Amino acid sequence: MKRSREQAASELFAALYPRLAGWCRRLVDDDETAHEIASEAFTRLWARWTSVAEPRGFLYVTAANLVRDHWRALERERRAVRRVTTETAVRPHTEQSDPSVRLLVQSLPERLRVPILLHYYADMPIREVSAVTGRKEGTVKADLHAARELLRAHLRRSLDHTL
Amino acid sequence: MITRSDDGPEFEPDDPLAVILRPTSDYLGPPPGRYEEIRRGAARRRLVRAAVGAGLTCAVAVLVVLPLQSSTPGDPVSPSVPLAPPPVSSPSATPTPSVSPEPAEAHPTPRAPTDGSETPVTEVAPVPGPR
Repeated sequence: MKRSREQAASELFAALYPRLAGWCRRLVDDDETAHEIASEAFTRLWARWTSVAEPRGFLYVTAANLVRDHWRALERERRAVRRVTTETAVRPHTEQSDPSVRLLVQSLPERLRVPILLHYYADMPIREVSAVTGRKEGTVKADLHAARELLRAHLRRSLDHTL
Repeated sequence: MITRSDDGPEFEPDDPLAVILRPTSDYLGPPPGRYEEIRRGAARRRLVRAAVGAGLTCAVAVLVVLPLQSSTPGDPVSPSVPLAPPPVSSPSATPTPSVSPEPAEAHPTPRAPTDGSETPVTEVAPVPGPR
């Protein structure tokens, strides 16, 4: 029993860790932080292994929340540095990260972010997303549609600003 | 609410959203020993959580049991000796002397004999003599 669980954990780690850590790297643009976030997501998963029905979704949602916390911490740090040094041109570290993915996580409310993360980044079909989130398939589709529309609007706005 | 079908193609070729929502192609392999490290950390957390849970359960049990135990009647209580009543009035620290119109004799002193004899006079009953 314990052996099979250990084997399942090992297989899950081998299948999902590189992809999850790669996705985190796109968001934080730092290998070490990406490893930290992915590792923390796995630690949280295995600390409550028996009560998590869908590990893939749990990992992505946990990682997304950790990334958001990381950005907030960076933002606070940057503000503090700016206050101390009164430099105007302190470039934020995370601006090098993929702005489009950052937009995805930052601009969407959690209700819409979770289905997007699960469907597009964890490769879960809508049926599975529906089971994980406890929403009807139609609701998940509507959420995905609303999220895409919101993202489009955000994207259009940011493109207008850059032009 | 009309929703789009998500089973078919979702984006046009020139849709900028396709860039955002493209599945990640980045892979970042775990450093050596990371798996064991994570497993150890998770086991530690499970232990801590179990310990905290057990502690909380014990605390709640004690909190529930103690009041119950104190409210249940135990052995018959033997009647206790009632305490002595408190003193009616306590003497004041500085008693004020009571002023009386005449000096009162607290203790009657034996009056000194006025006839000068030191020995007390004893009355001897007359003995009838012979006639």
